[in-house]
Amino acid sequence: MKAIWTIARKEYQLAMRAVTTYIVFTLFLVISGAGFASAVFKIQLAELRSVYDIINLLFVFFIPAITMGSIAKERSSGTIELLSTLPIHLSDIVWGKILSAFWQVLTLLSFVLIYLGVIMVFGENIDYGVIVLGFLGLVMVALAYVSIGVFASSLSSNQVLAFVIALAISGFFYVIRYLLGLMPLRIVRYLQWFSFEYHLSGFLKGVLDVRDVLFFAAITLIFAFLATFKLQSQNMMQER
Amino acid sequence: MIEIKNLSRSFGGIKAVDDISFTVSSGYITGFLGPNGAGKTTTMRMMVGYLQPDSGSILLNQESIFEDPIRTSKSIGYLPENNPLYDDMVTIEILQYLAALRKLDKAFFTRRVDYVVDSCGLKGVLYQKVGTLSKGYRQRVGLAIAIFHDPEILILDEPTSGLDPNQILEIRNLIRKLGEQKTVLLSSHIMQEVQALCDRVIIINKGKIIVDDEIDQLDTYLKGIQLLHLELEGEDVDLTEFLEYHPELSLEHYEHENEHHKLQIKVPSDLDIKPNLSRYITERGWLITSLYMQKQSLEEIFHDLTQEDTIPGIIAAEELEEPGSESDKLESDIDPEDTKGEEG
Repeated sequence: MKAIWTIARKEYQLAMRAVTTYIVFTLFLVISGAGFASAVFKIQLAELRSVYDIINLLFVFFIPAITMGSIAKERSSGTIELLSTLPIHLSDIVWGKILSAFWQVLTLLSFVLIYLGVIMVFGENIDYGVIVLGFLGLVMVALAYVSIGVFASSLSSNQVLAFVIALAISGFFYVIRYLLGLMPLRIVRYLQWFSFEYHLSGFLKGVLDVRDVLFFAAITLIFAFLATFKLQSQNMMQER
Repeated sequence: MIEIKNLSRSFGGIKAVDDISFTVSSGYITGFLGPNGAGKTTTMRMMVGYLQPDSGSILLNQESIFEDPIRTSKSIGYLPENNPLYDDMVTIEILQYLAALRKLDKAFFTRRVDYVVDSCGLKGVLYQKVGTLSKGYRQRVGLAIAIFHDPEILILDEPTSGLDPNQILEIRNLIRKLGEQKTVLLSSHIMQEVQALCDRVIIINKGKIIVDDEIDQLDTYLKGIQLLHLELEGEDVDLTEFLEYHPELSLEHYEHENEHHKLQIKVPSDLDIKPNLSRYITERGWLITSLYMQKQSLEEIFHDLTQEDTIPGIIAAEELEEPGSESDKLESDIDPEDTKGEEG
């Protein structure tokens, strides 16, 4: 457990020193800010639902950008050899990486508080329950995307490839909702269960369903497990 | 003590390590020598648990390293090939990071920082970004990491590769110092390095061990195959009588052009044949135009041993049971034609 924190802290500190992190952050905030501005000032709604939708879409592109280097970079620089011969479990590495990327996303999300402040100052009849639950939904979905990203990063030493794979998997979960209309009704019922949108919509409406929480937790665990498995397949020693 | 038993590992169809067995004894510096691609790194990676062997076992103090990997990695210090480091971290940060992952306590950490700064000469670069360090300093940082947790065994994969001669000497001195207390296994493709540092040498080629011997033994075997080059001028030159009188000599090569004769004679290392030979020749009124001994250098032995195609009978590791008989076998297996080729 301590190893996970150590790895996460170091990764986070290094990320916060890198210029690329700030470029990614700035882009993210500019786009989500534009979405917020148009929702609040054009449509004049004192809610964050539309911003949350935009952020969820942005996650599909930006989280893979944050996670792509996590394990791939260790691999390409060879430091994975250093790391995996330490007295730690390989799963510690995976969870450390997930935690650090998750922290970065939370840092990003903390800027949403500014939007909240704007609404609190100018808005009326604000439904805080919906705003808070929607935020929690975003946090959950972010964790799932991060886990997918770290898994993609564990597959090869090529960061670009890691980005593309993460984008493809995250995109799949995101896009399902739009494909459902094309599917026969019989399988729609089962397929919609895999849609992130389907599970997020509850949060955004202000409804907390344990099944939604469990779904995102399960996705996170599955991809974290797959990443660990990928590392183990090369190095079986640490956890025999 | 590390015992390797029948270790094999292949990548795809290629056998990188092919059924090798050897022992690294405590308190010795063992050199792992071989050309690039011989299987050194693969073997070392398996010994530190970075790679899983296909078959065979690795025993650390009579216990398989796979039994309790976490404990194993505590007692092994490892310098990987090419010395991978986090380039965007400061030296002390890396040490802190790895110490935290190793769960070293604070007092121990401070003590060890002082020690590695002192022994690896890191004083000036402790607060410098690793990415900006010269190769020599990088290597020292790598060594500092390997020895930081005070492991009983050090596995160093090409610790001096890419360094300038002064740096090589520094690193060698450090390894020698470390070798006084610890078990060290280092790999290299440089003969002199192994000769200068190690008590024992294991030569590996194409995944198989071809020599596993003490470095002194290798030395006697080296002298055992010296070659006498002799050029004579004179009529009716015939050394048959002399050679019959000295059965330990053997004529390896003979050619002549009119009255100019060229000979190569294989001479045992412990025999100084030159005075007798020159007396014999001058007594018969022949003229020596050239006479010199060619010792086969360690480099040449290495070359011979690892060039399978040029040598008909490569010595298999299994045959090398007793140190005494080894050198004899090796001698007889060296093809003199090859040494001649080297010279020309």
